[in-house]
Amino acid sequence: MIKHMILRNILYRPVRTLITIIAVGVEVTLVLTVVGLTSGMLSDTAKRIEGIGADIMVQPPSASVFMAFSGAPMPIEIGQRLAQIKNVQAVAPVLLQFNSTNGLDIIYGIDPVTFGQVSGGFVFHAGHELQAADDILVDDWYAKGRKVEVGDTLHVLGHDFHVAGIVEHGKGARLFVLMSTLQDLSGARDKASVFFIRCDKPEQTEKVIGLISALLPHYEVRPLRDYMSLMTSSNLPGLKTFIDSMIWLAAAIGFLVILLSMYTTIIERTREIGVLKSLGASRSYVVRVILSETTALCVAGIVLGFGMSYGVRMLFLAVFPTLTILITPIWLLKAAGLAIVGGWLGATYPAWLASRKDPIEALAYE
Amino acid sequence: MGVPSVGSKLEPILKTENLWKVFRAGSLDVAALRGINLDIFAGEFVSVMGPSGCGKSTLLHVIGGLARASRGRVLLDGNDLTSLGDAGRTLLRRHKVGFVFQRFNLLPTLDARGNIALAQHIHGDGFDPHRFDVVTQMLGLRERLEHRPSELSGGEQQRVAIARAIINEPKIVLADEPTGNLDTKNSENVLGLLRQLNKDLGQTIVMITHNPEAAAYGTRVLHMRDGLVVDGAAAN
Repeated sequence: MIKHMILRNILYRPVRTLITIIAVGVEVTLVLTVVGLTSGMLSDTAKRIEGIGADIMVQPPSASVFMAFSGAPMPIEIGQRLAQIKNVQAVAPVLLQFNSTNGLDIIYGIDPVTFGQVSGGFVFHAGHELQAADDILVDDWYAKGRKVEVGDTLHVLGHDFHVAGIVEHGKGARLFVLMSTLQDLSGARDKASVFFIRCDKPEQTEKVIGLISALLPHYEVRPLRDYMSLMTSSNLPGLKTFIDSMIWLAAAIGFLVILLSMYTTIIERTREIGVLKSLGASRSYVVRVILSETTALCVAGIVLGFGMSYGVRMLFLAVFPTLTILITPIWLLKAAGLAIVGGWLGATYPAWLASRKDPIEALAYE
Repeated sequence: MGVPSVGSKLEPILKTENLWKVFRAGSLDVAALRGINLDIFAGEFVSVMGPSGCGKSTLLHVIGGLARASRGRVLLDGNDLTSLGDAGRTLLRRHKVGFVFQRFNLLPTLDARGNIALAQHIHGDGFDPHRFDVVTQMLGLRERLEHRPSELSGGEQQRVAIARAIINEPKIVLADEPTGNLDTKNSENVLGLLRQLNKDLGQTIVMITHNPEAAAYGTRVLHMRDGLVVDGAAAN
């Protein structure tokens, strides 16, 4: 009976119902999109770094796990000293640079020979290896998303590059240029942001890390196998705060809309509440009716929010094809839980108000 | 949890002893009921008449457990309402009292069937299809059950309200000006139904009315003035 009554109540005021459902849907979408975008980007970056195939990465002292944040303060000569360490098979210095032209990308400045020794080389879909100073390699995702073909001119970092090849994705970045070119463009001559190291035997990784740490005290020396676990929002300064803020903002939207919606509902239905009480409905019955109605609205909003989230993801990927937005089951559950709890909190005061109404005053309400 | 029936055939179904209800209006105390003593026996149809402001509706609210008495006692089927808190009076209303209001007070979102079934749901014994059929048949509502209040005439709405009031077989039905919003024909129809309920089912009814013709449908008429029953208090 309560279900029937709730359904009737919801359908009786379609505009308010629709607005409430949309607001809860926006709340869910906001949470899923923000979290999906950040975790997707982090996960994608981590996978690509792991895909390089190195065993160890060396960064300057106090460098962030997010390599592009650390600039390029390491002399390139360090690479030669690292190469002399026992069990080190190959060392690839890489210079990293942000590119904000036509989107946000990280460009790797590499030496094709050493990068190939560490990574096993690129798999080419088309074109050839970096040769000339203004050559650039793009990965297949970038090429597909931006409709780039071999021979095209790509304007990045204020410079026109010639697309020399399209390579399989998953080798650290989506754009690769010669290290010397990037050093010139970024004013970091003879500098590198990170050294990727390949050991002759993977089981020697810990030992090599110890030797590197002895050689370069205070430098950040990390095994690549741990990299995925380090790529979390809590390791990026401000990111977790940003995500938390967005989640709270979304929850606040849901809370306030439900509060307002149910409050006006209670005012409108004052006489109906008086009728329920005259029929012997207890306070808990009235509260149950209000909270059940809230739950129904939230569930509808959650379903809409899930749909909107996937819609937004499709839209994002259509506009920014290289983005990764991760909508995971655990975050679907969390977003749904947040919407339900926020809704209940928002409905608590109106429900309490309704349950406390004096039946005679309520019945006399015009 | 049901409310125990502790009354007997010798005891009135409703009894008030020195019943007072005082309202606070600013700094003034206004007494709406001034020591009412009243006995209503099972199977009676009692009409309560009196001028506006004499305390008729207040009396109905207090004996129905919608409001708490300021002083005195109300015994409904042996249960002392004045000793009950809000939850206790709620329980008593649920199991012992049926209300019929002047403005019908049907839920606009539900159809007639839903409005009647809602009372059964709140009562807690679940939907009783037999009782539902008997009541709706008696009140001539069988063809109107799928209609919402806005699709029903005033007389039909009041018949739905009466069905809702009696669906759980309450000990007493309290009707507050049940014909106040109806035309003459519908008024006669509704009053006839109340009398039929009283005669055929032995339903105890207390009805408030301004109208002497309506009051005449009752088996006893009480007159109130200034918060007191001034005439007809004793049962025949």
